[in-house]
Amino acid sequence: MFKGKPKARVCILAALCCFIVLSAGGTLIHAADGAASYNYSYWSRSVASPAAYEATTLLDGANLGVGAFNNPSDLHVTPDNEIYVLDSGNNRIVVLDQQFNKTAVIDSFDHEGKAYSFLNPQGIYVTEQKHLIIADTGNKRVVHLDQNHSLVKIVEKPVSDLLQANYVFQPVRVVMDKAQRIYVMALGIFDGFMEFNTDGAFTSFIGANKVQVDPVELFWKRFSTKAQRSQMIMFTPTEFTNMDMNDEGFIFATNGDLWGDSIKKLNAQGNDILRRTGYFNPKGDVRYTSDIGPSRLVDIDVTDSEIYSVLDSKRGRIFTYNGDGHFMYVFGGMGNQLGEFNTPTAIERVGDDFLVLDKAFGEITVFRTTEYGRTLNEAVRSYFRGEEEKAYKLYDQTVNRNANLDFAYSGIGKALFRQGEYKESMQYFKQSFEQNHYSKAFLLYRKQVLREHFGLIMTIIIVIVASSLLIRGYRKMKGRKKVVTFE
Amino acid sequence: MNREILKYPFYLIVHPFNGYWDLKYEHSKKLNLILSFVIMALLIMTNVLSSQYSGFLVNIYNPEYFNSLLEITYVVVPIIFWCIANWSLTTLMDGEGRFVEIFTSTCFALIPLIIINFPWIWLSNVISIQETAFYYFCNSAAVIWSMYLLFIGNMTVHQFSPTKTIATILLTIVAIAFMAFLCLLFFSLLQQMISFITVVYQEIAMRN
Repeated sequence: MFKGKPKARVCILAALCCFIVLSAGGTLIHAADGAASYNYSYWSRSVASPAAYEATTLLDGANLGVGAFNNPSDLHVTPDNEIYVLDSGNNRIVVLDQQFNKTAVIDSFDHEGKAYSFLNPQGIYVTEQKHLIIADTGNKRVVHLDQNHSLVKIVEKPVSDLLQANYVFQPVRVVMDKAQRIYVMALGIFDGFMEFNTDGAFTSFIGANKVQVDPVELFWKRFSTKAQRSQMIMFTPTEFTNMDMNDEGFIFATNGDLWGDSIKKLNAQGNDILRRTGYFNPKGDVRYTSDIGPSRLVDIDVTDSEIYSVLDSKRGRIFTYNGDGHFMYVFGGMGNQLGEFNTPTAIERVGDDFLVLDKAFGEITVFRTTEYGRTLNEAVRSYFRGEEEKAYKLYDQTVNRNANLDFAYSGIGKALFRQGEYKESMQYFKQSFEQNHYSKAFLLYRKQVLREHFGLIMTIIIVIVASSLLIRGYRKMKGRKKVVTFE
Repeated sequence: MNREILKYPFYLIVHPFNGYWDLKYEHSKKLNLILSFVIMALLIMTNVLSSQYSGFLVNIYNPEYFNSLLEITYVVVPIIFWCIANWSLTTLMDGEGRFVEIFTSTCFALIPLIIINFPWIWLSNVISIQETAFYYFCNSAAVIWSMYLLFIGNMTVHQFSPTKTIATILLTIVAIAFMAFLCLLFFSLLQQMISFITVVYQEIAMRN
């Protein structure tokens, strides 16, 4: 190949060198932007983003001094940062304080002089008064304990016309609102959550998911006999996978819908009132490979300022959204390193830190905010509280750290808008693709400009009208003269 | 004379029956062709400018995928497909139109798309989101006007009855679908062949 003239050889060598240099440069750049995390742009493209959270500590039963956890399935953290770990396999609840020191272990409760224990409990909820609600799945009941861990009531299998006679009550997740109503997510229930009143009597179902129909399946059903149809898959609504309650008493729930809305915010009537005004609907990953498929959300945690996080059990990722439905950050993953999981089942926030519970490993991973994460959290919070000035500064810092965070620009824009700087705010709204806000700012800006230059604009219009009239009159006169000369 | 040439397209779009009659029987073919190419170029320019400079409220475009050359093909390819399909059908269906006439009548029918959309490129920058209704209304009006002109033009050029024109237009659309399919097939086969040859060449070249 290199048998040509020396000159040609030199040329080829030079070209090769250039190529090598170019490719080396390319890889260098690539290595530099191998970011820790990602975000989704307005165009639903994944873009690089700094990490908002970092795994710092790994807690297991042994280093907490309570013995190894056996298939723990739920976590709950109270507003004053007391941590309740539901150790299902060992039928106990381990209570930790903020520094992860064991303060109590609850494995039984007294009822009419006898001690009762739990059997494979799956769900736990702790109210602000430190009342414990435990979904005691194996014993087919929900147990309500007060702050001293003594029994308040037991909710057994409800008697209702809405339930089949042979129905087995298997509660798996529970929450309680401020009016002491208990909401239960039970296995084999497709009609939504079961609502129990203060006395523990069943009242109704709320928030049933919509039925998802597979068109192909429906097509074949049309042509099959009744006997065949009874053998086919039934169209049932998807079950919920988890729920949480925010401080206003709204239930945030996740379900296993593949294509529909897999995150819901239910009001007391069971209507979905989640705001989905982000660039895409909150549902975990937007872009995914077809072999693994969309995210399967198994837990949700809602904190103050309408910020909520969901856990994807397929990829072990935790997605956080703000109240408007804007995607804030993601962290986690599957694997064996710190900050990666095998079977993540529950997430909870302790202040701004995250606890992620891994069922198979029986471990809790603690994630703490990075500076970027702290700034972004605070920015969203101060905007939510209406502190425009502070939000402006914090969003500005966030954008400096992550220029790819499209929705942060609208935060800056809104602050500028409040200050009456319409033209600048328009620029920011444009960058965050917020057409409605852009339009509002533009209308005010247009009014401002028109008012400022009213004199000039009116003068120009009058001059144009007058001159056009004059020209027309002049032409007419000229035309008449011509006619005259013709005659 | 020059002035009349400039006025003629505007006359055609408001008086399509007379205008297209003149186009077929009165005007020189050369002049019509020149005007058609000018109209096509103007439409391309309008589309390119519109995707770049239209107001933010009516036009969110991703600069990564912006390509002026593609905008050209979006105008030229449909026109050529339409003309070829229409010509091939109408020659079989006793249409009187020649290919040049079909081409010029099609291009002249696109004038509303230019004269309505071009001012809106700039106007759309000074409207609010409530006022975008006017923008979309004008856009659809332009399209409907163009389709009406296309219909009249086709009818006049071929000297068809209205029902026959509608039938040919529908058949033309089917023919376009066929042509698009054949083109796709052709290009994908061509691509495969070219890649096969390059791979063979590479194999031989690397062997030494």
